[in-house]
Amino acid sequence: MAIKSILVIEDDRFIGEMYVRSLKHEGYDVDWVVDGHDGLVAVTSKPYDLMMLDIMLPEMRGPEILKALRGGKVDKIPNTRIIVMTNFDQDDESRMAMQHDVDAYLIKAEITPRKLIEVIKGFDTPAPVGAQ
Amino acid sequence: MEIVVTLIVGLALLFSNIDPTGTAFWATMTATLFAATALNFFILDFLLIPLRDLAMAVTNAAGEKPTDPLANPNTPRYSKNGFKPLLQFIYEHAHDGMSAPDEKSENSENPQAKHLETALRETNTGFIVMDAHGKIQYANHAAPVKHDTNDTPQLELLFETDNTFANWLANCRETAVHSEQSWMRVPNRIVGDEERRIFNVTANYEKGSAAEVVIVAYDATNIFQPEDDELDFISFAAHELRGPITVIRGYLDVLEMELEDQLGPDQHELFKRLIVSANRLSGYINNILNTSKYDRRHLQVHLSEENLGNIYDTIKDDMQLRAQSQRRLLSVDLPLSLPTIAADRSSISEVLSNLIDNALKYSNDGGSVAVSAATEGSFVKVSVTDNGIGIPSSVIGNLFHKFYRSHRSRETVAGTGIGLYLCKAIVESHGGQIGVTSVEGQGSTFTFTMPIYASVKDKLQANDYTNAGLISSSEGWIKNHSKYIS
Repeated sequence: MAIKSILVIEDDRFIGEMYVRSLKHEGYDVDWVVDGHDGLVAVTSKPYDLMMLDIMLPEMRGPEILKALRGGKVDKIPNTRIIVMTNFDQDDESRMAMQHDVDAYLIKAEITPRKLIEVIKGFDTPAPVGAQ
Repeated sequence: MEIVVTLIVGLALLFSNIDPTGTAFWATMTATLFAATALNFFILDFLLIPLRDLAMAVTNAAGEKPTDPLANPNTPRYSKNGFKPLLQFIYEHAHDGMSAPDEKSENSENPQAKHLETALRETNTGFIVMDAHGKIQYANHAAPVKHDTNDTPQLELLFETDNTFANWLANCRETAVHSEQSWMRVPNRIVGDEERRIFNVTANYEKGSAAEVVIVAYDATNIFQPEDDELDFISFAAHELRGPITVIRGYLDVLEMELEDQLGPDQHELFKRLIVSANRLSGYINNILNTSKYDRRHLQVHLSEENLGNIYDTIKDDMQLRAQSQRRLLSVDLPLSLPTIAADRSSISEVLSNLIDNALKYSNDGGSVAVSAATEGSFVKVSVTDNGIGIPSSVIGNLFHKFYRSHRSRETVAGTGIGLYLCKAIVESHGGQIGVTSVEGQGSTFTFTMPIYASVKDKLQANDYTNAGLISSSEGWIKNHSKYIS
């Protein structure tokens, strides 16, 4: 399923605007919220193809949002892909636990907007061997 | 006795022809009876009773139970007859003898126990004793122990996940009679906790003993804490730098996309230089972060089946840009037909990018850098070759040391001196090896090996896809890790 609509949950204004600008430039339909609580409300009230989730967020942190969405028996957003975007160096166990519930886990400083778009487009085609 | 004496005296008188019917005979007999009775009382009182009491006292002193009650030496009789000191001596001796062990423990062992108790209370080394059920029977004041909700004492030590005390103990119970194990640099709390202490821990196991496990936790906080603080600062600073570098790299990317048609050739070149520099800065930050992570002994890496070509693809654009901006020719031949390797993708991409970046930096203007790979036994061997300035043989041995930078490179090339140190740490944490051959003035070839996935698949599965099984079989990095921490 091709990605069309994207929710960006990012509290850094410079970084948020950067993603929104480049993703819109690429033709995606993008919404942007700056705190975790608003992010959880947004993603459960409107169907998105993709959610970009920061870890260190005001009001509600990324892992809590993930738990609320996919921690129970029922996946509340089964049709939404999730990319965790962070500059926070989590310990290995926390990272592995999050990776289990998401489609990609990326370091923001490593992912320029063009690379991000490549990753998103990669969701449209089956992943090659060893790809994340 | 008195009757016997009287009879003897009577017979003696009869043999002396004294008239048995006469007054003299009966007077003598009566006097003899009285005298003998008096003598009897005297002997009984002054000799036989004290002798009997002495015998009782000696019996008692010998540890036997006397048949009669023991005499009191303070009664007037013993003062008069002079037996008092003798009885007292026997009683005292008996007391000394019977209570000797107790007296000794009071006089010598108890003070020792007191000293021991004081030492255990005052020392900053923790002592813990566990029974066969793993219950803590004793823990001194300094022991890293916490109480759970049931107020049961529990060991409070954060072991590395693949080398825990619990694993060791479980293994001992299954296979050992006695065993000993040491762990270095084990914290009791996570980083940032005010109560955090760091221990070197030794545990002894003795099957069947009341003290089945004895743990000694030497508090080495003052040795490790300064280094930890330094690592905290480095790690914190590196995190802070990631924010701005995300914005710089991101907006350069956005601007380049949006202005592509409007820029002149020279402006494109300026953009490239900005992007290459920002990428390098990002690489340095990653090196610093990862070095602090590895120095903390966070050795555990999760490995998965990866293709070298795919890993290189993640850094390909950046590497080509760096080569172009420095007027070098970079050729990379990592065919997808190579066997897949067991690797952590981002760590190996860092190794590749560090080695390629070095090769580009130390090449001459217009020089070429070649990256290739080939199968070698159960490993894939990757080579990064340049035709640059080469490395003098005198410094080759120092290349992989932390912060090492040769005199010449310090003058001519930018860098932090942790790139190769980190490469070695990463490669060895995968169970591989890194090395270099070089001819001064002609160039260098850096090589590293990565295990072929199929050859380590079973070990990975057995260790939850961590590198634990690979490191222990490669003799390496854990054992030698301390030498990299300088």
